[in-house]
Amino acid sequence: MIGPLLVDAAFVVFALLAIVTGYRVFRTDSMVRAAFYLLASFAAVGGIMVLLGAEFLGMVLILMMAGEMLVMAIVMVMYMMNPAGLNPMVMVHQNRVAAIAGLVAFLALSAVGLAGEFPDQPVPDPASATEELGRELLGNSMLVFQTAGITLLATMIGAIAIAGSRGRYGSADEGSVEPGLQPDEEVA
Amino acid sequence: MSEPLALPVAIATVGVALVSGGYVIAVGDRWLAAAVAGRPSSLRRVLAAPIAGGALAMVTSRTTTERPDGPGWALAPALLAALAALALAMLPLAPGVAPADPDTGFVVFSAAIAFVMIAVFLHGWSSNATLPLHGAYRYGAQALSFQIPFLLAMLATALPAESLSLVRIVEAQASLWNVVRQPLGLPLYLVAGLAVTFWGPLNLPDGHDLAGGTSAEDAGIARLLWSGARTAMLVAVAAMGAAAFLGGYHGPVLPGPIWVIAKTLLLLALIVAAGHLFARIRIERFVLVAWVALIPLALLNVFISGAILL
Repeated sequence: MIGPLLVDAAFVVFALLAIVTGYRVFRTDSMVRAAFYLLASFAAVGGIMVLLGAEFLGMVLILMMAGEMLVMAIVMVMYMMNPAGLNPMVMVHQNRVAAIAGLVAFLALSAVGLAGEFPDQPVPDPASATEELGRELLGNSMLVFQTAGITLLATMIGAIAIAGSRGRYGSADEGSVEPGLQPDEEVA
Repeated sequence: MSEPLALPVAIATVGVALVSGGYVIAVGDRWLAAAVAGRPSSLRRVLAAPIAGGALAMVTSRTTTERPDGPGWALAPALLAALAALALAMLPLAPGVAPADPDTGFVVFSAAIAFVMIAVFLHGWSSNATLPLHGAYRYGAQALSFQIPFLLAMLATALPAESLSLVRIVEAQASLWNVVRQPLGLPLYLVAGLAVTFWGPLNLPDGHDLAGGTSAEDAGIARLLWSGARTAMLVAVAAMGAAAFLGGYHGPVLPGPIWVIAKTLLLLALIVAAGHLFARIRIERFVLVAWVALIPLALLNVFISGAILL
């Protein structure tokens, strides 16, 4: 199987990839490129999770990020009126606040990394880790996860009802009309 | 516990399967096109046509557009081909033998399928041109619609196996194939699989109505690489369908790998034939059908499969 040296090498590659692409998110000049860099960064973090023995969680992270980043890129392009997101634009703003926030977050995480106590038990093999996760999701934490799941489902249905072509204000194909600003105003 | 193949053997197996599968698709596609159109075609010409087409593409000069995203454009076919290789690497070839058999094989396969939308969007977006971008947006809508039914249909096969490992999923079909156990599964998988591989009636991102869609600005070797990656993805989806629903290597008399190849070819024949027998449908209609019909049917499939096991 894979030797420990190869695992270490893979960790270094994934970690560098995550940092470099994460940095590039803010230094690129296009929203779609930023989304792709962010996706690469998350995929590298997913790879590190797989190396840590969280095989299921790491792969699910990579799986979920693909769709999320694509939707994010398309929605950003729609809002920014920047056709295709290829027109150059500055991706940073409020530099001073961002720099302070970034520094504080970095120091806090470094402090946790240096001062925190980390478990040193051997990692269980991936199959039993996946099984334990399943038992947790459908055992003690079931109420929490099912509540979150139903809430998200209701949100999705609501969003589709609002955004669908047969929306609140009539069919989009026939020119839907918003209601007036006054409550009792007649809708055309 | 299954023994993984040695790394060079695994890489060679996946590579040979993707390239030879791609050639078979190219030949079959041309042969079926001629047969459906009622044009006589000699076997020799059909066999030589993909090679001649590839050679022509290699000497055709490449084109470029105004201010494209060069790295993205070059990366997209490589990403799609790599995803096909990743998906195919999970394929069980014989009892306990697969190029790679992680315990979460199903999730790795799902992640590869999810990233296809990134590859196609990147391909259409990076050339900075109108028609490819239309194709990219179309595939975004298509991908968000097919992904849930495709993966739910596949997930139902993990229930009788009680494992996310694809080797276990095939092992669990020793007595009864999933195509019988879950009659809804294979049709859902094939319809959504057409959408995944954007083939035939669901070739919306690269369709002729967009003058080639995401590959409209590709010429020469770039076009060859993209169509090669597309056929590789089709091989991977068909092979995985054969493993998850048609019992993979299970079969009488012949050795396991022969059955894997035969069943994969059967599904490939169905998919390629669909390209010549059905008209392309509009993206709005596909999205509607996916959300209103395919997802509820896929959920029903999962519920019934689960209820039978209880």
